Amino acid sequence: MSKPFSLTVVSPESIVWSGSAELLVTRTTEGEIGILADHEPTMAALATGSTVITAEGGEQVSLAIHGGFLQVLHNEVTLLTDRAEIAEGGREEAARLAGGLADGA
Amino acid sequence: MASAELREIRRRIKSVQSTMKITRAMELIAASRIVKAQQRVQAAKPYTEKMDEVIHNVGAASGGASHPLLAEREVRTAGVLVVSSDRGLAGAYNTNVIRMAEARLIELNGEGVDTRVYVVGKRAQSYLRYRGYQIERAFLAVTDTPGYGDARAIANLLMNDYAEGAIDSLEAFSTRYVSALTQTASRWPVLPITPPEQEAAAPGAAVPGAAAPGAEASDEAPASFGYTYEPSADLLLGLLLPRYVEATVFGMLLDASASEHAARRRAMKAATENAEDLTRVLSRQANQARQAEITTEISEIVGGAEALTQG
Repeated sequence: MSKPFSLTVVSPESIVWSGSAELLVTRTTEGEIGILADHEPTMAALATGSTVITAEGGEQVSLAIHGGFLQVLHNEVTLLTDRAEIAEGGREEAARLAGGLADGA
Repeated sequence: MASAELREIRRRIKSVQSTMKITRAMELIAASRIVKAQQRVQAAKPYTEKMDEVIHNVGAASGGASHPLLAEREVRTAGVLVVSSDRGLAGAYNTNVIRMAEARLIELNGEGVDTRVYVVGKRAQSYLRYRGYQIERAFLAVTDTPGYGDARAIANLLMNDYAEGAIDSLEAFSTRYVSALTQTASRWPVLPITPPEQEAAAPGAAVPGAAAPGAEASDEAPASFGYTYEPSADLLLGLLLPRYVEATVFGMLLDASASEHAARRRAMKAATENAEDLTRVLSRQANQARQAEITTEISEIVGGAEALTQG
């Protein structure tokens, strides 16, 4: 069990997910990025794609994300996204949803 | 047999009562909508706050990069966006904001600045068109429950026109939701963007070198943490600023929507109360007329009987 950090996923219309997480894997415009606790301060632009959060305790949450920004500062991670949806069906579902979000834009 | 006067009064009572049913229903609907609209305003806050913070950080790090959306230029054509509602029956809600915008339009035209008018909502559209203003673009059916998509469509169109030089600045006129009882029409400068919390640094966007903005931001803790930027801070800023405009427009629409429902509830409450008063007055008149009629009938009968006994 690794050290947790606090994570908030916000879209303009609501807070999509917030809590403490152990691992965040998302896609920036440069490529996939994984965030663990004590990551260096980072600001990144997000691409459309799936994001997987490993919550504290090991539960995995998949999200479809359509663009946005990632800010990492002192174990406070914020994902600002235009649109996000929690996918119940795991990663593949998230990827599919992300495709749908991109089409709808 | 009811007299003509009595029938007329009863007809009016019925009409007032059926209007009252409508205004009461509208009042209740508006009241339930306010709650939802307020929740939406609240729900949008975290995003806007984070956005401000991120822009502030990136802006400081990009070393006063001059992005077209930040650069102030000579204003030859001023864009004016008026946010109103699609439906009336909301008291002075629409009038306040439209009057304010019109006053500004007159002022701008007086200064010799061309204006380009964008409207949200049918009310502003019909008012301004009637007054002879050329309306560049009207966005209808968004104010009831504005979505982020609506805000994005509006913001993109405006930013496009701004980028193409069709407008050199953009001011928005909308209603700020202060509380359930107070909503004020206000003016929001939208373009060029004045970065949040660093208004003082904004005109200095052209100042070369990171030193000045760096020093400016040094009292704010986050900027001094040395972020890793992916891609570069300049590119990030370019991606962030349009989002910021979208979020600003979205916030404006949400505030306007909450204000609209609050104003309508108040107007309909007043209308319902007036209808109640009117019903009371009218039923009193109706009763008087009815009694006068009975009195006349009795005196006719008595008069008739009298005539018979005497004859």
